[in-house]
Amino acid sequence: MPARRLKKTPAHLEITAFINLIVVLVPFLLSVAVFTNLSVIDLALPAQSNEQIQKLDPNKPLKLEVIVRSRWVEVNDKHGGRLIDPPIPNLATGPDVRTLSAAMQMIKQKYPQHDDASLLAENDIPYESIVHVMDAVRAGYQVQDKKIVVTDYFPNISVGDAPVVRQ
Amino acid sequence: MKPLTPLQRRNERKGRDQNAVDMNLVSLIDVFTILIFFLLSNSGAVETLASPRAVKLPESQSQKVPKETLLVVVTGTEILVNSKVVASVADAMRVDGDVVEPVKAALDVEASREVIRKESEADSKRVTIMADKDIPYRLLKKVMVSAARAGYSDVSFAVRQRFEP
Repeated sequence: MPARRLKKTPAHLEITAFINLIVVLVPFLLSVAVFTNLSVIDLALPAQSNEQIQKLDPNKPLKLEVIVRSRWVEVNDKHGGRLIDPPIPNLATGPDVRTLSAAMQMIKQKYPQHDDASLLAENDIPYESIVHVMDAVRAGYQVQDKKIVVTDYFPNISVGDAPVVRQ
Repeated sequence: MKPLTPLQRRNERKGRDQNAVDMNLVSLIDVFTILIFFLLSNSGAVETLASPRAVKLPESQSQKVPKETLLVVVTGTEILVNSKVVASVADAMRVDGDVVEPVKAALDVEASREVIRKESEADSKRVTIMADKDIPYRLLKKVMVSAARAGYSDVSFAVRQRFEP
């Protein structure tokens, strides 16, 4: 008589419930997930937009003005004269933020205690250019010992109108 | 023919009944499980600002976390205060002065609300401007001046985060 041998079928995992759960969870989490992180840039606005109140403080060594025009970016000190001469010409895509960032680094080295800057823009400058210039003025990347660190240049930025060019 | 033993009959029946298609789902489950852990860990950060579809925000390297403040949205066509349309961009551009009256009026209403919690008092005078990246400075200035006139002197710009060393 032949030996009775049980025919063994391979063990099956009952994972249907698990798959159900996953199939529901994945679309839900995908719909909830955020892929673009939002952040903010704080502005340091003067309390009132009244020019008379704002007096030049003689104790401050520098009143940095970055004037964004449609064709170039000027970096001035309100007390006197241009800090970067000639002005930085714009690229086809907008203001030349790399050159501006380098200029800011230079100025920051000269005035390490200074934190304020005014960004003055012409009427037709797009918002995107303003934000890019603010980025360049606010902080920059520097290489220190094979590491890239973020250095604050002039984080207190206020925004205003650019003075009209005298022809 | 010899009749089958009960055990053999059972085995045979089992073999006959087992006609369900055996799908190999192992790799699918692998992927899904990894995806779930990724998404779960990713969604840990709660967003205070919802990213709108109609507004293309400019990119910036700023990493400041947005606070819960009053939100003024400037799209390509409309100005919204607290997600209510208050003025159209075309009208605002046509205004001669710097103050856009409907925007200021809407902000005045928001400013007149009493602050219940002491902690949020400092934030009640802040406003976050979420503006399309293509709007000109002229319009941005009008929105900012309107906000300042309504008492919102602390302005922040909402931007999209970008990392570029």
